[in-house]
Amino acid sequence: MIDSFLQQLAWLQNPVVVARQLLAGVSNGMLLFLICAGLSLIFGVLRIINFAHGALFMLGALIGATAGLAVLGAALETGLLRRIYRAPHEFQLLLTFALVFVLGDVAKLIWGREDHSVAVPAALDGSMRALGLTFPNYRLFLIVVGVAVAVGLWIVLHRTRWGIFVRAATMDRDMLSALGVNTRRLFTSVFAAGAALAGLGGALAAPIVAVGPGLHVQVIIDAFVVVVIGGMGSVLGALVASLLVGIVNAFGVLAFPGLAVVLTFAVMAIVLIVRPWGLFGAPE
Amino acid sequence: MSGTARWPLAGAIALLALPLALSDFWLFIAIEVLAFALYAVSFNVLLGYGGMLSFGHAAFFGVGGYAAALLMKKTGLSAGAAFALVPLAAMVASAALAAVTGFFSVRRSGIYFAMLTFAFQMLLYTVALKATGLTGGDDGMTGLRPPGVLAKPLAYYYFALALVAPALYVLYRLVNSPFGYTLRALRANARRVQYIGVDVRAHQLAAFIITGAFAGLAGGLFALSNGNVFPGWLNWTASATPIVMAVLGGVHTFLGPALGAAVYVVLEVLISGKTEYWPLAMGIIILILVLLMPEGLTGLVKRRAA
Repeated sequence: MIDSFLQQLAWLQNPVVVARQLLAGVSNGMLLFLICAGLSLIFGVLRIINFAHGALFMLGALIGATAGLAVLGAALETGLLRRIYRAPHEFQLLLTFALVFVLGDVAKLIWGREDHSVAVPAALDGSMRALGLTFPNYRLFLIVVGVAVAVGLWIVLHRTRWGIFVRAATMDRDMLSALGVNTRRLFTSVFAAGAALAGLGGALAAPIVAVGPGLHVQVIIDAFVVVVIGGMGSVLGALVASLLVGIVNAFGVLAFPGLAVVLTFAVMAIVLIVRPWGLFGAPE
Repeated sequence: MSGTARWPLAGAIALLALPLALSDFWLFIAIEVLAFALYAVSFNVLLGYGGMLSFGHAAFFGVGGYAAALLMKKTGLSAGAAFALVPLAAMVASAALAAVTGFFSVRRSGIYFAMLTFAFQMLLYTVALKATGLTGGDDGMTGLRPPGVLAKPLAYYYFALALVAPALYVLYRLVNSPFGYTLRALRANARRVQYIGVDVRAHQLAAFIITGAFAGLAGGLFALSNGNVFPGWLNWTASATPIVMAVLGGVHTFLGPALGAAVYVVLEVLISGKTEYWPLAMGIIILILVLLMPEGLTGLVKRRAA
């Protein structure tokens, strides 16, 4: 039993495999981060679990333009979500749940039922060699973009007026509103920004995932696990947990095929039991 | 005869006479409605009475279904013996699961309770997917058939009715018992109830286990009528079904969710027979429900009567 397990881990001695999995894990983690940052921000400010976030990601992959997603996000917030902020939890949950299916089927109506594959842009195609190892350029590009977005988000959240409002709203939106900040507009802009991030994630993921029906249902679950582990409302938590889940998944599929996905939800449950505000969130 | 006794009697006669008016196909759908009515009503005892939003109730419906399938396929019992044990096994299996997951879940409230029930359900979903030797994995378990004459829709309808009607009666008595009134008080203000000296978690856990058991019974009944069980029954999208049914019927009445289940199931049959875009239609129905008729169908009727 132990022998066979160790045999399964033989690849650990092969630096090529380890480096490849690490690169895949980190770049997948960066893609996850793009989705989760928006999901987490939206929960922090609007207190809504946006199940439709996976659908926004899928639309990003199909359209390839993040600005369009920002407009769609703003429209969804002003047209639909705004009406249910004071409603019971089940209504908020049902509303974004309904959007999962509406957006998913609309995507089917427009783009059909087949998987779409998108080619890697020519400038980013190919791979580079270093230390005797090969790295696909596109994976490296994803990591660069992820780091840039993380740094950019940090600057926006900590050095701009809008960012200060967003962080204040995460702590106490009623107080923010009482102090004279137009929280209606803030909510719209946060949802639009979250949608744009999901769209960017989708557009960047398009060359490395099969874009087709059902993608949005799977993606939202991965994102949800990450946001819960990192702490709902925390962008830093989303970053750390995204990388963690990305890397653990990349190695988990080699070490414990089949078990990795079960473990993910076990970890999610344990975090919720022991520390429901997640690794980096603030207890209420 | 008093006015309050007349309605249940009329309902019972209507349900007993219903097969006279239905073809085999619609009888099959009527069985589905019975199972989902029990599922939705049991779910709403948690939501509408206890104020606990479970986003993992499909775990119990699904486990009831898998318990029925495993009993029929894997135990080696004769079809008759296995079938006779299905209702009990489905309820015991889902109650046991609810006892474990509920023990942890009731420690959290509001949206965190919903997410914890969700995490446990997804855990179970992945187990059902990966334990291919036992559950058949992605292919599910198929070819389930009640023994003998019960395989006919007419007989199975009465069999299901004979289980669902008493189950609903038990739940009705439950919500109108002191226990049920404590649940309602918990929904209104759990902290105050705690200050009075009530063990809040124990009440919530008991409600969770009881409603889980009845959801399991519904799942077991539906599995044998449907003939198969799939892991999709345990996927996260399945947990919205009882919420939609409860809200559609109206969460503030006992039988509202049963009405919601009937309307939902019939709409699904009618619409998905015409178009492959049933999810789109369902999404639009939910949006209308949430934005325009938050009191559900029973709310509409009450408003008209008032």
